[in-house]
Amino acid sequence: MFSKIRLELIIEKPAFKRACRIFEGCGVTGYTALPCMAGYGNGNRWERGTDLSASRDMVMIISIIDDTLLPKLETELKNLIGAHIGVLCVSDVSVFRDGKF
Amino acid sequence: MSPEIAISTLTSPIVLFFALGLIAALLRSQMTVPEAFAKGLAIYLMMAIGLKGGVAMSKTVLGPDLLLLFIAAAILSFGLPVLAYFALRVGAKMDRINAAATAGHYGSISIVTFVAATQALQLSGIVSSGYMVAIAAMMEVPAIISALILARRGMKSDAKIAGSERGELIREVLLNASVVVLLGSLAIGWISGDAGMEKIEPFFVTPFQGVLCLFLLDMGLSAGRGLRQGWRDLNVGALMFGIYMPLISAGITAVLCKGLGLSLGDAALLITLAASASYIAVPAAMRLALPQAKPSIYLTLSLGVTFPFNLTLGIPLYILLAQMVTG
Repeated sequence: MFSKIRLELIIEKPAFKRACRIFEGCGVTGYTALPCMAGYGNGNRWERGTDLSASRDMVMIISIIDDTLLPKLETELKNLIGAHIGVLCVSDVSVFRDGKF
Repeated sequence: MSPEIAISTLTSPIVLFFALGLIAALLRSQMTVPEAFAKGLAIYLMMAIGLKGGVAMSKTVLGPDLLLLFIAAAILSFGLPVLAYFALRVGAKMDRINAAATAGHYGSISIVTFVAATQALQLSGIVSSGYMVAIAAMMEVPAIISALILARRGMKSDAKIAGSERGELIREVLLNASVVVLLGSLAIGWISGDAGMEKIEPFFVTPFQGVLCLFLLDMGLSAGRGLRQGWRDLNVGALMFGIYMPLISAGITAVLCKGLGLSLGDAALLITLAASASYIAVPAAMRLALPQAKPSIYLTLSLGVTFPFNLTLGIPLYILLAQMVTG
């Protein structure tokens, strides 16, 4: 087993491409995006697909990275969620195949 | 106003289906229209009105009058947010960023309100020009620029957001789905003309009213849910703004229509466009350009307050205004 870092970024859909550019620009080998159904934050409930602009929708991006990439990614993602609605979660995980991440 | 127009608008299936969706959402019904299906319906409606407008344009000689109308519509779309901004700052005590973002929605247009107005005109036997679709598509953009100028006025150059790239906002504004589908369909209708339209008429003309009912049921659900989720962020001043701003915009545009010498149908549509507020193109652009602004404020106002007002009471009023300035 090998130690890696798991990043979970929940971000508003309009900023999704910005988040993708950050992940790709920092050299991560892969990430997966999932649509979020509904949630609550800042005193407001939100729900996927409430309006046609999709500007209230949220997406979750999950990425497993090597810890050497973390400092740069963390700085850029903090900047992104400083401007956009989002939450970043970082945790330690174990993986079977070291070379994949 | 001829009471017939008001009654036929208020009792038309499209308005009644909208009311059904709105009430169902306010009563917390679990009824939903699947998201992808609703998006498909929106594309269908934009294609249908684009094609219809394009075919009508292919029979019209486009002269300098039309250029003048385009310029006037662009000035309206750019200028109305300035008025809306100051109304929100003073009347609703809104902060600069939220006031600018919301103001942008009120300079831009709602294509569904436009479609509902064309249906109301058709019901009353009033003719309008096909190129009004192009005017509608064009009016989406200047308001966004105006809102950004208002928001960034007196600000120090803002720090770059990580992941943003040059041209992404311009792409979002000029190539958003509604502008591409509307202008694309308009061009296709213009090129293919009556002969082309004949072949696709069974799909784009006959079922149009029924599809519009289905779409407005979903819009009612969206408006109701938006109101339920976002009303806490709105004060009385902001709620009132959602009603009086369309009326101010309509009044200004009515005067402009008189100056431009528009026909009754075109004047009614231009007034409706000016009085409507965007909830598709502008929110998406604002999330990119002004992420600090709260979507719960501008979307609740445009979709939850102004759209239902325009669809029920606004459109008959705007037709009356048009009758007054063109009659």
